[in-house]
Amino acid sequence: MIKFVDVSKTYPNGVQALKDINLEIYDGEFVGIIGLSGAGKSTLLRSVNKMIPITSGQLYVDNVEVSSLKGKKLRMMRRGIGMIFQSFNLVKRMSAFNNVLTGRVAYYSAARSIFGFFPEYDKVLALEALDTMGILDKAFTRADQLSGGQQQRVALARALTQKPRLILADEPVASLDPITTLQVMDDFARINKEFGITVIANMHHVDLALKYSTRIIGIKEGQVVFDGLPKEISDDILIQIYGRSLRHDEVLGE
Amino acid sequence: MSRAGEMLKQKPRKWVANLIFFAIIVATVIFCFTGSSINLYRLSTIGTSLRIMFTKMVNLNTDFLLGVGVYQFEEGVIYMALETLAIAFIGTFIGAILAIPFGFLASSTISGKVVSKIGVTILVIIRVFPEIVLALVLVKGFGMNALTGVLTIGLHSIGMLGKLFSEAIDNMDKSPIEALDAVGANRWQKIRFGILPQVAADISSITLYRFDINVRSATILGIVGAGGLGASLIIASYNWDWDTLGTILVAIIVMVMLVDAVSSYLRGKLV
Amino acid sequence: MWYVVIAVIVLLVIFAQFIPFDPNYFMFDQLGVILKKMFTPKGNRTWGDYFAYMWTLRGALLDTMKMSFAGTVIGSVLAVPLAVLSAKNIVKLPVIYIPMRFIMNIFRTIPAMVLAIIAVLFVGTGVLSGIIAITLFSFGIMAKMLYEVIETIDMNPYEALESTGATRMESFRYAALPQILPVYVSYLIYIFEINVRTSAVLGFVGAGGIGAVISDNILYNYDRVGATIILIFFVILFVQFLSNYVRGKLQ
Repeated sequence: MIKFVDVSKTYPNGVQALKDINLEIYDGEFVGIIGLSGAGKSTLLRSVNKMIPITSGQLYVDNVEVSSLKGKKLRMMRRGIGMIFQSFNLVKRMSAFNNVLTGRVAYYSAARSIFGFFPEYDKVLALEALDTMGILDKAFTRADQLSGGQQQRVALARALTQKPRLILADEPVASLDPITTLQVMDDFARINKEFGITVIANMHHVDLALKYSTRIIGIKEGQVVFDGLPKEISDDILIQIYGRSLRHDEVLGE
Repeated sequence: MSRAGEMLKQKPRKWVANLIFFAIIVATVIFCFTGSSINLYRLSTIGTSLRIMFTKMVNLNTDFLLGVGVYQFEEGVIYMALETLAIAFIGTFIGAILAIPFGFLASSTISGKVVSKIGVTILVIIRVFPEIVLALVLVKGFGMNALTGVLTIGLHSIGMLGKLFSEAIDNMDKSPIEALDAVGANRWQKIRFGILPQVAADISSITLYRFDINVRSATILGIVGAGGLGASLIIASYNWDWDTLGTILVAIIVMVMLVDAVSSYLRGKLV
Repeated sequence: MWYVVIAVIVLLVIFAQFIPFDPNYFMFDQLGVILKKMFTPKGNRTWGDYFAYMWTLRGALLDTMKMSFAGTVIGSVLAVPLAVLSAKNIVKLPVIYIPMRFIMNIFRTIPAMVLAIIAVLFVGTGVLSGIIAITLFSFGIMAKMLYEVIETIDMNPYEALESTGATRMESFRYAALPQILPVYVSYLIYIFEINVRTSAVLGFVGAGGIGAVISDNILYNYDRVGATIILIFFVILFVQFLSNYVRGKLQ
């Protein structure tokens, strides 16, 4: 579904975040990306929906070359990709329901969206998404009155209303406490299995990545240094990826 | 029906209220355009007027601007601009100095609840009085000159600054004053060493901001004869003298922008 | 710190040159006479007449309110696109936001009365010129206040919305606007309060409203001028009170 061919990204300030990445990711996988902060994980993730444009190489999503997409075509592609952020990225003053509803905005013309009229279908979809995430009872609560775990679930619900084929998650649980972390990761796993949505997630905690992913990619200094199954990871390989042994904040424990 | 559907039914319908609210606002605005003193036809002449204004403005009358050639320096725009700045500067200065005691008076921290209420009321009365009207009255007493302008700005500023000063005083940290109390300082010492250091920066910042605004006010006080660019402006408008008008307008814009820039810069330094 | 004191003293001395100070010109007694005339009924008029006069001003007062309201609303609405285009975090290109800020600054620096004088030249005397003047004035102020707010909002939800495929305008509408709206309304009320004060005197240069009453009566009917001043005073006070109350409730 996603194919990186010799992809590189150099930022205007000269920093080369990605070097000759070659990767293929298939439908239905749960890919966990691990590596040091600044290794290029975030850049890799954001290049898939062109939130960060690549500087060389080709990136294919469903056989469409991403860097050539602009304007309406780009937005249509992004519509099919959900994105989850470490800081949830919800509008704090709005209710969970309204936040989730914004996931449907891309499906309408600009004129229609300005007034904020969503058809019945969308509203039901939003509520059902919240129900899927188990927080329907919080639908009309303001986002900033929800706990971290609940907010991330709202974000997931928002992504679900897009009816995506792919979800990109950038350190989705890094801001959560250990128990909530597991709950949210369980949600990701469930979405991946039940709805067949491909998940690509950057993860700070290595053991978490090993537990939930069907495939692990290790990034170091902008390059792929490991690409394989979680059970293939050994301490030596981890030292290779991280350049040192893991610190305790990179392991969730429990 | 699914649980989601059930919930949707219960959701409050806010959008109707919003729509009505907007409709009322729009209706009121339209209403504002009705009435006998409104001649909507004149709106269509704006295009031509704008064109005339711009063509005339582009030919700046530099003699008039600088006060050379057939013009005396005092008749030149530069002089008038400086006069305006002078009015604003001295007026703000006087206002600031006099506002300090008023600030203390109106601050509940210093003067207690009752006295501060009186202080606040006095300041409110001074503040609400429109500057131009004040200038109009003072002109009778002090003549049609820049001094009236200074007095007007000064008086009005006492009202404006006094309130802000009192708020700055109310907001400050009480602990240094308690410490001074503990070592037996008298009232003046407490003010000098406890209060002033804290509020000095705030007071300066507020005063600078006020100066910024007062430059704009000083520009128009001339309309009633209190000195500055205003006088020339209103006369030019009576004579439909777009050249003069344009030159003065440009001068005002440049002057105020400069003052804004300096004021922002200095206030940035104060923080 | 001493440099500051010296600089201020120097400026004071320089600027003082422009201010004439000739006590011979002072006419304090004249001032006293005027003040007395303003606040006592003239000639055969009674105190009843004095206060009844205020009632006759209700038309002019309404005009003033029309100017304030329409001008504030229209100017503030027009200010929104200007503010958005001046915000660095929404339009990332300096080639757009720098000229926009420049335009904003131009309108901010021109005093309302000057705008009124020009407006009168364009559309004649009356409420219309007042509305135009207040509109342009509010336009500048609101744009500045608004763009500063826009630059400090949380851009995270905006980024999230863009990632779902929304256009920049849609992302703004759903992620940025809800954060800005409450502040916008508060500013709107604040600017309205300022504008009532300003429009009260715009009539002086012909822009309609209660100011015109003062300029009409200034030569012979000081008592009417005084009555008008008192009326203006209470109106502004009332509006200020209302404004503070509503804005307080909004928090």
